[in-house]
Amino acid sequence: MSTVPEVPPTVALVGNPNSGKSTIFNALTGKNQRVGNFAGVTVEVKVGETYNPHGKKLHVLDLPGCYSLRANSPDEKIALEALTGQLPKTAKPDLVVCVVDASNLERHLQLALQVIELGLPCVLALNMVDVAEKSGLRLDPAKLSEELGIPVVPMQAKAGKGITDLKQALRHPFPPVSEATWLANAESDENDRRDFIARLCELAARRPDSQQRTLSDKLDSFLLHPFFGWVALVAVMFCVFWAIFSFASIPMDLIDGALGGFGGWVESLMQPGDFRSLLVDGIIAGVGGVLVFLPQIILLFLFIGLLESSGYMSRAAFLMDGVMAKAGLSGKSFLPLFSSFACAIPGVMATRTIDSAKERLVTIFVAPWMSCSARLPVYFLVVPLILGEKEGSWKQALILFGIYVLGTVTAFVVARVLRGRLGPEATTSHFMLELPSYRMPQWGYILRHVLDRGWAFVRKAGTVILGLSILLWALVTYPKSDSEDPGEALAHSAMGRIGEVIEPVVKPLGFDGRTGTAILTSFAAREVFVSSIGIIFSVEETDDDVETRSLIRDKISKATWPDGRPLFTPLTMVSLLVFFIYALQCLPTTAVVAREAGSWKWAIGQFVFMSGFAYLASLIVFQVGRLMGF
Amino acid sequence: MTPSSTTNRSAQSPVTLNQVGVNCDVRISSLNGPACERLRDLGFCEQMQLRKISNGRNLICTVCGAKMAISRDLAEQVLVSPIR
Repeated sequence: MSTVPEVPPTVALVGNPNSGKSTIFNALTGKNQRVGNFAGVTVEVKVGETYNPHGKKLHVLDLPGCYSLRANSPDEKIALEALTGQLPKTAKPDLVVCVVDASNLERHLQLALQVIELGLPCVLALNMVDVAEKSGLRLDPAKLSEELGIPVVPMQAKAGKGITDLKQALRHPFPPVSEATWLANAESDENDRRDFIARLCELAARRPDSQQRTLSDKLDSFLLHPFFGWVALVAVMFCVFWAIFSFASIPMDLIDGALGGFGGWVESLMQPGDFRSLLVDGIIAGVGGVLVFLPQIILLFLFIGLLESSGYMSRAAFLMDGVMAKAGLSGKSFLPLFSSFACAIPGVMATRTIDSAKERLVTIFVAPWMSCSARLPVYFLVVPLILGEKEGSWKQALILFGIYVLGTVTAFVVARVLRGRLGPEATTSHFMLELPSYRMPQWGYILRHVLDRGWAFVRKAGTVILGLSILLWALVTYPKSDSEDPGEALAHSAMGRIGEVIEPVVKPLGFDGRTGTAILTSFAAREVFVSSIGIIFSVEETDDDVETRSLIRDKISKATWPDGRPLFTPLTMVSLLVFFIYALQCLPTTAVVAREAGSWKWAIGQFVFMSGFAYLASLIVFQVGRLMGF
Repeated sequence: MTPSSTTNRSAQSPVTLNQVGVNCDVRISSLNGPACERLRDLGFCEQMQLRKISNGRNLICTVCGAKMAISRDLAEQVLVSPIR
């Protein structure tokens, strides 16, 4: 028996995208996995633990899916660094499990050979043998093992088959390093590998001569059809949106109600005072404002997970490539931008799949212009005021639709301009996309993924919002006035004074200092605007959001400038809407952009540009509207 | 859908993947262009058999049992000879 090292050995899982690597990782590690983010790096390496049949603990790394070790994309760079022990805080692997899709062996072996060439002990996990055999492929794992000089484990990870055999292969001592015999003679490594793979597949993975038309092919003839494909895409996207907005409202109302009840309970327990106010009005209300959006985030990730897991998302990207090209982007930007309609945070995180660094930056830059769900409370407040009617008419729906179109079109135009200015890539990036066979969704994996994301949202966004809620509360509360009137108290507070200072800045947009203050508070999170305007105009909050908004509308429609002119005319409202469509009023988004783009410069640049753009657009709308006599 | 007559015309010399008709089985004879390495990573290796599924802005083909969508620029770098 070899000597036992003090730290558990590290086993890395490496493989092409869609090879079933994550399924094997989850099967090996169970609930012990955690998601590790590495500083300055945008791609995740999952870390977990497992035990081999001798009870020996092993660290397991799930590396990002990659096609080669040439570091063409961020994912591949990370995989190479992890395998060569250059990744910070990660030990060099003692054993590598190369996961290959048996039905795609010719391609997947390319990566496996490159890994063996690194001189690390390897095990080949020959996954999806069922799919390969169904397609008529005749596999010979023993021959493969003999030729490659490494253990080969046939698996069907989705059904849990072969996991025990794989664990057997992870026994200590690990298999010896295999020699890359294919590199022995010829001059080019590429040619050597290619020739070796061709010979290997001839011996151990023979394909039938005729190709069969599979169920996936039949589905694709409809889902990628030049006309019906688009009908299907629009229908799928409509269903996703509809489900997010209609299903999410139930848990959102529950969370809202529970937080309201909790706030009331805390209020009843404590004596009136600053500490109670901080807890109830600052922390519970502030953090609650974020938690309320959790159901939407979870539902969005659930649908994205379903679409990705079933194989449809790559079809959507394929169809959308032509449309995205008009904005200087590719089909791979579709998913991130689509996700941003619900929330820019998951949208920005989803840009990780884009190979081209510049396209990725441009996508991150324009993602917040896709109207997210946090803007909806503001739209619901303002749109009826423009028309001077109650909530819920078809004209309002039309305006709402126009708002979404305006944001999207502007994002596309800016993306095109920005993409042009960033110049060509150092290495030309072409559109290439694998269209995997349709599969039944892997529920276990999707649910774990959704929980991971949901928790990350609560933790990351929650901490930023918590800090800001306390700061905002302090600005709205201090210095205190003797007046009982909340409006006067606010005017006396630091925030009110800031409002006075900023009035000259917001006046050209048609707003007074009070509206300016409400806008200022909404830079932490857009939906704060509604509650701020309620506080500023002394509107009592009710349990019903619709009723509260109606009360606010009644009150502010009567508000006037000191000279008696109405404060909120339809033109002011349009100006306000335009500002909210364009401004980046979401600190968690800025924090996520800084992390994903790898620089605060980019995040701050985006914030300044979008806020400046919003100001300018709002200014033009108001001033031109006034000149035209509105 | 019927295989394009282009394939028959060019039976003797390699043509680019763009020039091949839909539903044709072809064999890759060589790769010529800046994205060769990337194409090989994706399974577009010399002597590999592939079937073109559709034309368009990006074309779809099956190679090594996988369905791939690649841009016309990339397809231009793949020289193929028809099998039948």
